Amino acid sequence: MEAFLHQLLGGLATGGIYASVALALVMIHQATHLLNFAQGEMAMFSTYIAWALINAGVPYWVAFFLTIAFAFLLGLAIQHFLMRNLRSTSVLQLVIVFIGLIVIFNSVAGWIFTYTIKDFPSPFPKGYLFGQKYLSPHELGAIGVTMVVLTLLWAFFRFTSLGLAMRAAAQNPVSSRLVGIRVAWMLALGWGLAAAIGAVAGMMVAPIVYLDPNMMAGILLYAFAAALIGGIDSPGGAVVGGFLVGVLENLLGAYVVGNELKLGVALVLIIGVLLVKPSGLFGSVQVTRV
Amino acid sequence: MSTPLLEVVDLHAGYGLTRVLHGISFSMEEGSITTLLGANGAGKTTTLRALCAMIRPQGEVRFRGERVDSRATEDIVRLGIGHVPEGRGTFVHLSTEENLRLGAYVRKDRAAVEQDFDRIYGYFPRLAERRRQQAGTLSGGEQQMLAVSRALMLRPRLLLLDEPSFGLAPLIVRELFEILRTINQKEGVSILLIEQNAAMALDLADQAYLIETGRVVLSGSAAEVRNNDAVRASYLGY
Amino acid sequence: MSAVAPVAASLSPGVSRHRLQWTALAVLLIAACALPFLVSNYRTFQFTLVLVYAIALLGLNILTGYNGQISLGHGAFYAIGAYVAAILMDRFGVPYWATVPIAGALCLVVGFLFGLPALRLEGHYLALATFALGVTMPQLLKNKALEHWTGGVQGIVIVKPDAPFGLKLSPDQWLYLFTLAITVLMFVVGWNLIRGRVGRALVAIRDHPIAASAMGIDTARYKSLAFGISAMYTGVAGSLGAIAIQFVAPDSFVIGLSIGLLTGIVIGGLASIPGALFGAFFIQFIPNIADQISKAAPWAIYGIFLIGFMFLMPMGINGAIRLGWARLRHRLSAQRKGG
Repeated sequence: MEAFLHQLLGGLATGGIYASVALALVMIHQATHLLNFAQGEMAMFSTYIAWALINAGVPYWVAFFLTIAFAFLLGLAIQHFLMRNLRSTSVLQLVIVFIGLIVIFNSVAGWIFTYTIKDFPSPFPKGYLFGQKYLSPHELGAIGVTMVVLTLLWAFFRFTSLGLAMRAAAQNPVSSRLVGIRVAWMLALGWGLAAAIGAVAGMMVAPIVYLDPNMMAGILLYAFAAALIGGIDSPGGAVVGGFLVGVLENLLGAYVVGNELKLGVALVLIIGVLLVKPSGLFGSVQVTRV
Repeated sequence: MSTPLLEVVDLHAGYGLTRVLHGISFSMEEGSITTLLGANGAGKTTTLRALCAMIRPQGEVRFRGERVDSRATEDIVRLGIGHVPEGRGTFVHLSTEENLRLGAYVRKDRAAVEQDFDRIYGYFPRLAERRRQQAGTLSGGEQQMLAVSRALMLRPRLLLLDEPSFGLAPLIVRELFEILRTINQKEGVSILLIEQNAAMALDLADQAYLIETGRVVLSGSAAEVRNNDAVRASYLGY
Repeated sequence: MSAVAPVAASLSPGVSRHRLQWTALAVLLIAACALPFLVSNYRTFQFTLVLVYAIALLGLNILTGYNGQISLGHGAFYAIGAYVAAILMDRFGVPYWATVPIAGALCLVVGFLFGLPALRLEGHYLALATFALGVTMPQLLKNKALEHWTGGVQGIVIVKPDAPFGLKLSPDQWLYLFTLAITVLMFVVGWNLIRGRVGRALVAIRDHPIAASAMGIDTARYKSLAFGISAMYTGVAGSLGAIAIQFVAPDSFVIGLSIGLLTGIVIGGLASIPGALFGAFFIQFIPNIADQISKAAPWAIYGIFLIGFMFLMPMGINGAIRLGWARLRHRLSAQRKGG
């Protein structure tokens, strides 16, 4: 029973990270109808920047926020200089561009920082908190940070004028122009925010899985699965999906198929869900008129 | 003679290889209600789109003396031109209130914006009832009112309306046009109205232009145009 | 969602264009046959792999280019084909030339069976499902339970066959010619398939599935069939590839292979037969070139190539050639008229 709780709660911790990345994916999808396959590699690269800063003696939280700023600008730059000029291409062609980005980030990270696995510090104190031994302080901290990020994001979209403008630009760019919203800026902003969220996720997960250029690949896959299982258009669904996938991964790995096959089996299960409910748990069924 | 609010000179525009406007020219005085009439495909909507830079025109468009034909839509909006597009362009997944708030997006006078909410709800009480409702679930008539209101939240100097009567019951159209008349008279908002429903449009407007296959073929006061025999035969049915 | 070249050859005045195409094809074939005698054994081996990839890419194109079903997992079918060849040759002593059709037939069935549940999935959901397939395959191949057959992590080593009938050809040369013959066969079959009723049905389903079924096309059957045929091609390629490389191991078939195949058809040109060949050249040689440009970060160069291609040639190499050709014809005919 103890072991089960351990797996369950550990799954929630990693689930939180999947939830953040899934949310970033859904955000960009809502704004651009694109799935940003390069999200993971951008997060990994940002985490390396954080590592470099910390290694140079910068205090953790200063490095943390500097990295977020870096990631934001990186996302903005990619959208503004690259994606914006690719306007009238089909989905598959955009997928190739994303593959190109993935490969570039991965390779450059390996080149600059080498492929040796690195330690990434956790800002949270050692020693189990609250007298429980299921969640390490970092896991608890990671859940906490995830919650803060998600709440801030929700508040941003719900209560600020800029957040409203971004939602509008994502849903209806034509009408948005007619009320004076600069749609191109909104897209760039969306990418910047998504990149920043990814960076936070990367910095939270690195202490657990250790920093190396391939760190985010599995996480991105789970985040995708989470976004799809929640319904690709539902931010709330992405969050729920993230936690679900995290728990599923842990339980499957521990009790059913062992760690090697758990990735494949988790995916197969998710596909099973999609076969039953193709638009995901919270997604809206898109009715298209013939 | 003061500068006209809007001057359009020799406007040419189209979609790709299809040219729709072949030299449209007209002007509007401040405070007037002008209507562009014409059959389907005559080029009325295209004209409005060209004015707002939703498509790129050749020719001159002057707003209060300034040339605007090479500006971006977002900048034209900031000059005080509100566009109620064909099909209403509602933000269907957002609430009624959020739609209205977006109308005021470019404005910086927060307190006045809140007052405008009350004013708009005064004109359109049904929108007040549905303020938290998802805009996509409103009826056609209510969405049209919402679209007009959204444009009004801008406090525009010029309101462009593209076929506001489309798909609406005559009673609702009458209600809407009454409100437009009030807005014009009480708040001095100039209105450029595109309509297929010639009778109602000529009732409301001061000036009228008739467009056929991308050209202005007739112009004059609303009364003159209404009494024109050709117009009566083709567009008014008597 | 599709931005692809039309299936039917564009109507052009006169027979001259067709004659030009057939001549070009004949020249290409002659050159291909002469190749192994002109270059080193290693180069011949590399070109054998180009042919192998071309078959795989044609298969993937049938599914994704012509039928619009995205697959990020075709590496799995390639792996199945490869392992079938290896196991049959190593464990059962089946001659190499017999393993190819067997691999094809098995993959046809497996692909068709996979295509059945895939019917319910579209777009990114299908991509995820096929991705899962591609990711799981190497793990399955490593699995302890199957080790007896698959050789586990170490894989299986096989021997390249000698030329038959005592012909004076090196094994590389013979294998190249053998592969060339199969490639030509597969391409001819594929060309007929696409030009015919099946091809038209597939494209109709891709472009407007509702209209297609309203016209009486059994969408479900054709979509599963597309999966099956596409898997068959890729399985054939996999078996040939295994024989050429003389080795199969789980880590040869990681997800990068599936991604590489998808890259190949987009760069080569979606929904085009020549595109399969162009794409094959790309995935075989560009990584080498990238490595020569930068030893430190070759994949970064590869990524730049990918992005560059999508900017400059969004319709793939085949699309760019068609465009260039059309522009040239237009300019020539304008000159003739204006002259």
